[in-house]
Amino acid sequence: MPPVKLTAQAMARRAAAAISPGDVAAVDVGLPALLPDIVPPELGAWFLHNSGMLSNVPLSQTDAAAVIRGGYVNLAVVSAAQVDAGGSFAGRRSPGSAVDLAAGADLVIALLPHTDAVGASNIVSALSSPPDGQRCVNTIITDAAVIGVADGGLTLAELAPGWTVDDVRSITAADFSISPTLREMDFTPSDGAPPSKIYPDGPSALADLPNGATVFIDGFGGPGGMAHYLLISLRDRGSRDLTIVSNTAGIARVVSFGTPPGRTAIDHSVLIENGQVAKAIASFPVSPSVSRPSEFELAYRRGEVDLELVPQGTLAERLRAGGAGIHAFYTPTGAGTLIAEGKETRAIDGRSYVLEYGLRADFAIIRAHKADPNGNLVYRGTSRNFNAVMAPSARVTVAEVNEIVAPGQLDPEEIVTPGVFVQRIVQRPPGFTGYE
Amino acid sequence: MTFTKLYDTAASAVADVHDGSTLLIGGASRDSEPTALLAALLSNGAASLTIVCDFYGWDGGESILKLAAAGRIARLISPDPYVGATGDNLRAAWDLGDVSIETVPRAAMAERLRAAGAGIGGVFVAADSGLRFADGRETRIINDVECVLEPPLRADFALVRAARADTLGNLAYHGAQRSWNAVMATAARITIAQADTIGEPGAIDPELVITPGIYVNRVVPAPLIEKQG
Repeated sequence: MPPVKLTAQAMARRAAAAISPGDVAAVDVGLPALLPDIVPPELGAWFLHNSGMLSNVPLSQTDAAAVIRGGYVNLAVVSAAQVDAGGSFAGRRSPGSAVDLAAGADLVIALLPHTDAVGASNIVSALSSPPDGQRCVNTIITDAAVIGVADGGLTLAELAPGWTVDDVRSITAADFSISPTLREMDFTPSDGAPPSKIYPDGPSALADLPNGATVFIDGFGGPGGMAHYLLISLRDRGSRDLTIVSNTAGIARVVSFGTPPGRTAIDHSVLIENGQVAKAIASFPVSPSVSRPSEFELAYRRGEVDLELVPQGTLAERLRAGGAGIHAFYTPTGAGTLIAEGKETRAIDGRSYVLEYGLRADFAIIRAHKADPNGNLVYRGTSRNFNAVMAPSARVTVAEVNEIVAPGQLDPEEIVTPGVFVQRIVQRPPGFTGYE
Repeated sequence: MTFTKLYDTAASAVADVHDGSTLLIGGASRDSEPTALLAALLSNGAASLTIVCDFYGWDGGESILKLAAAGRIARLISPDPYVGATGDNLRAAWDLGDVSIETVPRAAMAERLRAAGAGIGGVFVAADSGLRFADGRETRIINDVECVLEPPLRADFALVRAARADTLGNLAYHGAQRSWNAVMATAARITIAQADTIGEPGAIDPELVITPGIYVNRVVPAPLIEKQG
């Protein structure tokens, strides 16, 4: 007679022990939903629920989709009824949650009882219903064992207290090998804390921004919403051959809305006149005034920079697509114009659409009003515009903020960019203005 | 007379929901479904409805179940149609052939609704689970990834719930109310919102407005409905 199986709580504790500091964990309904209450808060882990709650930050399902499909989930813990020897899982009555979680995560843990209500093994050589996730499970945690899944099949890695290899074999309907490091299950949670996202200054936050990088930068006609301090820090760093993606390519200086007499607005021009920019992808690259050309225009006329002109709404959609794991989309914008030249067009429901592709970047330098140490951002007024949509789409998003507040000091309802999308935070130095 | 989107009763706000309508119904957890609007929909009598929703319990789930039991749902589109007691009963209805059920991965449903709201003709997303849910749709390799073309999911009506509204239809949510309500509000021809409180324009801090009023056609105060029983 096999030993006593683990309780649901103990199974969840074993799964919780797999969470590392700062991990983003997507938790399915059922047993995985127990994890958030078990994992020590000091670990700074994030939990994405099916309801769209990302820990205490409420997300729309579109933002939740971006967390999952944008590649931000380190670990998905899915409920499954069966897992096969190839790591496919199935059998949930409603597969619509687990399918996403499994597809988007770096690591997938299937958490399930080892046997079903009538004692049949849930670890099988072939699934009895269509897969909800194909060959995606890395680790199976049951009430009797932890089993790893790799190309070669299943490997028994851990035994529940009191269990032997033969006990597990007697209730498992698939072949498995035995890990040379087979041991008793360890329920000890990870310790430590995630590395701080707060950088002491702009130069340190951009120290690894390489030559040839693609960089997202906000910026409209005026100085609002731009990360002026980071722009100056990037100028000082001197990275070259940059592709900048932005609404304008730097026209705040020539538009000079509200610029104090004798001073110059800081915008993308500081990079262009320093010879750092190879290309701009932008909606408004030129000055509204013919007599006051922007630095970008002058450089373009000299043949020093390339330009890809993108309609503003299409730019926003391409940025959002890049962050949400949308590889391409059809938009009616630009159909029948020069914008559509060389692009696929197609009629959908009697209207002409153009195929556009998602945009991603190595770095985004964005501006927000306030941040907390987890990277959650609150904007003020129009500073939300492109900053919010750029944050998820860059590998490294650096936020320049007016104020860094203590954890819990931001109203969750006011958070527009959840911290999972922000890797680095820099406080704008006191007294720093948008003008040189 | 000042411009207002305010309706006094949920019944009047859903009066033009008709046979064959497609309805998006917001909500993802307790207290996030438009319960007053659902109650009014039950009384409205429209049948052959296509319902798009993602909740499976609580008061909202009960209403969906009552609609199904009354034979008024022709089609249900949901990531989790079979969960909980509602799911058991829906499954029974489905087995009887009364309701056609389409299971859509949650993120795909969000993107299809968003595409409808943003005027996008379709999005190529990575194919999940060996195309199990691709359903004969166009596929294409982009960036070395097998992608499926997901079409927009448009609707005649969206029934949504917010914590606060103003008479221009600006909405602020609380917690998981944001989840589906925010995206669904953008994707329907007519969006009807119930809110705990409804104020004059300016009553909601603009930084807290998640759904701008241009997406919302009608607002109904929910407490008023509850008082009327």
